[in-house]
Amino acid sequence: MYKHSGSRGSGAPGWVLQRITGILLVVVVIGHYFVMHSDPASGHTYAAVLARMHHPFWKMFDLTFITVGLWHGLNGTWGIFRDYKMKPAVSLTIYGIIILSGIAFWVLGVNTILSF
Amino acid sequence: MAYQPKPPDGWLKTNLKYNKHKGSWAWILHRITGLGLTAYIYVHIYALTTLTQGEQAFDNEMKLFTTPVFKVLEWLLFSLVLYHAFNGVRIVLVDWADGAKYHKKLLTVVYGLGVVLFIGMGVLMFREPIANMFASLR
Ligand code: HEM
Ligand code: HEM
Repeated sequence: MYKHSGSRGSGAPGWVLQRITGILLVVVVIGHYFVMHSDPASGHTYAAVLARMHHPFWKMFDLTFITVGLWHGLNGTWGIFRDYKMKPAVSLTIYGIIILSGIAFWVLGVNTILSF
Repeated sequence: MAYQPKPPDGWLKTNLKYNKHKGSWAWILHRITGLGLTAYIYVHIYALTTLTQGEQAFDNEMKLFTTPVFKVLEWLLFSLVLYHAFNGVRIVLVDWADGAKYHKKLLTVVYGLGVVLFIGMGVLMFREPIANMFASLR
């Protein structure tokens, strides 16, 4: 991990995964948007959301979305910080915040999905 | 291992003065939209936790998100999605499919496709108010 905290690691595996997850997200995010707005109730009422949440397909969809989306967003954010030279302590703190908040919000979101 | 000397004018001024062409704006926009969407995911995940508190809690929250201001904000959010998604595909094509030869044409496609889908989403989201507007004209 330390290797990546001073703009030193090549970051190549992350670079490739950033592209693969990105391509996957094209379908997932744009699809999500059209489903949520297909009619005014779809994304904005408990009844319509729950109808999806009980369905295994949408459960898998949401689990994939939150995992791939958070990883892509946070790996991308970390990539931006890597562009700047920082003292190792600063860089490690930022890395820690990204990882810990990412895990916390992943757990929070997965908990919502698996509650139904 | 010393830190690089600061540019004489300071970091911000140097960046602002730097000559920007179409491609640098595309890159800056990709960053801003990526960060914006990441921030949105956090808020979104938190907002959805009311689902676990039952129908009342969720539908109450949705009263705010279905006000006209939030409807428009949700529509505008789609522009971040569209730009970042299509420009992301463009980046991948440049990296992996010889896209450097045609990246400027691709940028036109990115903006064009984005505008079309953005307007399409606007019609989808606001079809009721739009229909009402035309009905009242008659
Ligand atoms: C919809 C499909 C998406 C595609 C095709 C895509 C594609 C990409 C690509 C290829 C990169 C790497 C840019 C580079 O290395 O220069 C990137 C960066 C990034 N993406 Fe995405 N992405 C998508 C969705 C998202 C979403 C949903 C989020 C937020 C949750 C997000 C957040 C970011 C961030 C923060 C970066 C870093 C930007 C930078 O390095 O300047 N992306 N994206
Ligand atoms: C304004 C437009 C949006 C609306 C109304 C909306 C609505 C919803 C709803 C109701 C759910 C619950 C699951 C379901 O009903 O299938 C959900 C889940 C989700 N959405 Fe969205 N969404 C929107 C935009 C976005 C965007 C732009 C992103 C990505 C950056 C996104 C990422 C997610 C993720 C990751 C989940 C799963 C979250 C979790 O498990 O807590 N959404 N969305």
